[in-house]
Amino acid sequence: MIPIELYVGLAVIIFTIGLYGFMTQRSGIRMLMSVELMLNSANLNLVAFSSYNADLTGQVFALYSIALAACEAAIGFAILMTIFRMRDTINLDSFNILRW
Amino acid sequence: MDLMLLAPELTLVVTGLAVLLIGLFIPVGSKKILGFLATLGILAALALTVTSLGTEATMFDETLSIDALSQFFKIVFLVVLLLVSIASIKYTEGSDNTEEFFSLAIFATIGMMFVASANDLMVLFVAFELASLATYALAGFEKNNPRSIEASMKYFMIGSLSAALLLFGISFIYGMTGTTSIPAIAANAGGLVTNPIGIVALVLMLAGFGFKIALVPFHMWAPDTYQGSPSVVSALLAAGSKKMGIVAAFKVFIIALIALQAEWQMVFAILAVVTMTYGNVVALSQTSVKRMLAYSSLAQAGYISMAFVVLTPMALGGGILYALSHGFMKAGAFIATGAVVYMVLSQNKNTENPDHLDNFRGLGRRMPITALSMTIFVFALAGIPLTAGYMSKFILFSSTIQSGLVWLAVIAILNSALSLYYYARVVKYMYFLPTDAERVSEPLPYTIALAVAVIGVLAIGFWPEPFVHWAMEAAKVLIPGGI
Repeated sequence: MIPIELYVGLAVIIFTIGLYGFMTQRSGIRMLMSVELMLNSANLNLVAFSSYNADLTGQVFALYSIALAACEAAIGFAILMTIFRMRDTINLDSFNILRW
Repeated sequence: MDLMLLAPELTLVVTGLAVLLIGLFIPVGSKKILGFLATLGILAALALTVTSLGTEATMFDETLSIDALSQFFKIVFLVVLLLVSIASIKYTEGSDNTEEFFSLAIFATIGMMFVASANDLMVLFVAFELASLATYALAGFEKNNPRSIEASMKYFMIGSLSAALLLFGISFIYGMTGTTSIPAIAANAGGLVTNPIGIVALVLMLAGFGFKIALVPFHMWAPDTYQGSPSVVSALLAAGSKKMGIVAAFKVFIIALIALQAEWQMVFAILAVVTMTYGNVVALSQTSVKRMLAYSSLAQAGYISMAFVVLTPMALGGGILYALSHGFMKAGAFIATGAVVYMVLSQNKNTENPDHLDNFRGLGRRMPITALSMTIFVFALAGIPLTAGYMSKFILFSSTIQSGLVWLAVIAILNSALSLYYYARVVKYMYFLPTDAERVSEPLPYTIALAVAVIGVLAIGFWPEPFVHWAMEAAKVLIPGGI
């Protein structure tokens, strides 16, 4: 059996890639993809721990969180669509009216 | 299991779906009725919650718990939703999307209510996301207004990041304890204390909740979102959604992760001081009233976080009472600003900054009821005696001194004094600056919502005993024997 550390290590690497992408990318779609990476790394963790602990809760949790990620993407794309209609771009740096 | 305990939530679900479906079949002109329908449903849910006060039960395999804490916060959320819904009858007038507005606001509140009664991290996360997703859409309700869309976009990006951090943190907690049930985590916390991954999970969850509560340094979205969103939505976000983060943090940190108490108490001490100071100092220089209220809301979140640091039953009771008072004060202040924005926009549709301080000039003569309520709310936020804000601050700060954290109390009191400057400036603009404006008629729904909020603020200020007692009961759920 593959030791749990490898799964958790992979999840941490994917999470870090997602976090890095979220911080550096300025395109709305890429930021959304980075968030998806982070959510999926958590799912990987949940499923790995679930199998390791012989407890099904983690897998149920992962199913819920996949569904939630889909809802989040739907809302996110709706917002990005509105931005695109208004500005013809989804570069979020060009969208900064509110500041002090 | 008694399904009656879920009656408030079920009532809201039925109301939300009914509003959504009925809205499909009626013309825009008569959509006003949807607002009344939603308000009736919310009143019914509020009445059902009040009648179930004092019951204690767990439901659905112990994933939901009904106790004094959950009922207290449910009432906070329902009161805020009630205020927002009354004011929105006017705000959504003539809009094609009235039904979406009311059903999204109701669904967001259902999510908050489930967070309040969650006894399992899975339920907590799903409910947290339900509330977040509905409010992302609400923040962008004015879809032709670039400010509203920008507010929604920033809120969505930061909100989804916080959800990912929270979920990653939860996955580690689950891995270390083998369960997602909140009481069972507390019982199996042995592994969390000895393993450094426990600290990683703690930090991730703190960041996840910190974004929702808008603690510095996780606050970047809050001023932009509160300023750009429609005022009624800002009221729901600042007064409702923020409390959801607080109750979730109460449950996760104080019940589930009490074994890591030393670590998170220190972090909360730093966050509380930084948040209240930053919020108050930046609020001093704001000219947009909504942005000023957003920064003041940061400061208030800083005060409430003191409850985590002191962690005595009295301090927690003070923090919980503060959540209720803040619900009335902040929702009221945003709705009063909403009334002013409505008035300004109805005079000139293309005003650039309808919530600028200059638009409050001479408000005492133009809109006397709104001006008087706004005065009461800002003084309550500053903590003037005989208002809700004073009572909550008094309990919270005196319990801080009692437990020996005098430095923290001194910083908080200095901060309160500082905040009086920018609150009083609003009052100065409303009453003491010359103006030649005429009296305008005030929109009735806004006025009713303001009246309800004023009654709440003054009731807690003049007659605090039952509210304090009730908050103390709720605090007992968190630390049964006291620490």
